[in-house]
Amino acid sequence: MPWRWFVGPLKPLAYQMALDELLLEGAGASARPTLRIYRMDPPGLSLGWFQTLDDVPTAKGLVHVARRLTGGGAIHHGAELTFALAAPKEHPWYLGPVADSYTRVHTLLAAALRPFGIDARLRGDEPLASDVAGTGMCFQESSALDLVWPRAGDGALAKGVGSAQRRRGGRVLHHGSIKLAADPLEPGVATADAAGTGVSFDDLAAALLDVFGRAWTLESRPEPPDAALDARARALAESYRDRAALETRPRRGTPPGAADVQSPV
Amino acid sequence: MRPDDRKYTRTHEWVKPDGDTVVIGITDFAVNELCSGNEGDLVYCDLPEAGRTVDAGETFGEIESVKAVADLNAPVSGTVLEANPAIEDHLEILSKDPWNQGWMIRLAPKSKNLDGDLLSAAQYEAYLAESH
Repeated sequence: MPWRWFVGPLKPLAYQMALDELLLEGAGASARPTLRIYRMDPPGLSLGWFQTLDDVPTAKGLVHVARRLTGGGAIHHGAELTFALAAPKEHPWYLGPVADSYTRVHTLLAAALRPFGIDARLRGDEPLASDVAGTGMCFQESSALDLVWPRAGDGALAKGVGSAQRRRGGRVLHHGSIKLAADPLEPGVATADAAGTGVSFDDLAAALLDVFGRAWTLESRPEPPDAALDARARALAESYRDRAALETRPRRGTPPGAADVQSPV
Repeated sequence: MRPDDRKYTRTHEWVKPDGDTVVIGITDFAVNELCSGNEGDLVYCDLPEAGRTVDAGETFGEIESVKAVADLNAPVSGTVLEANPAIEDHLEILSKDPWNQGWMIRLAPKSKNLDGDLLSAAQYEAYLAESH
């Protein structure tokens, strides 16, 4: 089955996280395997699913903060591109251990980055110059499956893609984030412009669509959310930016109604 | 062959009768999907407190590896009696012994005839073979 795909919409972070929850749920046309590529307006910081504001010093003082359905560390979504893949867990892309699907996605991302002069590879056992303990930031902690390349400036090996997955109800959501340029809130990470070529959101989105399309077959035309899905995402977004909920760790295993365990889902 | 003293779900949980109660955990397959043999890749597990009621198929908790968060689904309906206190600080026991030390919650089942959509060990093995 070809992948449904669309670019955008250009919306605030909480809306984007809510829309991705609906993709994971398989709402409406999203029941088909779906790829979407987007960015946030205005920029914002997403907390990993189990993080609280206290876990991420960078979040202090930021207005646009939302929880992300996927796990791992926090990401500042400024000059960057985010993509989401949502599909049934039986989809060939996802079969096997989590590590296998990561490898498949990261192999495609490496191919998409190559035209920009980026030589990306899996981290494996290599140490990264971008790892910084205690920040709670995704790009400043790494695992063997992360995609890495030499960063601008000193050429030291650094993390270049923030990735995380969520599995629920027989479906899977994969998030990926790539920095287009240096971000002062996440210094020292690898960026898409590391080889000295300016890389725009549109440039990188086109490269991703080209590579994903050749590997997986995309539908011939984009199919953005319809009005019903958009309305649901707007309503759901409120829970993703609820400040009180961001101060506590989500707990699915606690009785509903408990005062201190609000969850966005 | 997985242990045949318990039943399994298609979402890779197991449920084992124990007197008037049942014990619930996740299978070796589920653990390996999340961490591919790297026990240190499991980083957090959220389990319910005693008193929570769950329906068969309902999410009772969540588990996080370095690269994925997955729901934990109740194989049967019932009331949570206790969660395994060892898991929070020793997630590695899920890799080392998912069948015994790595149990997650104990339930008072709603029905003596376990009500979920459950598989025998042989059926679970066949399900894994055909779907993964």
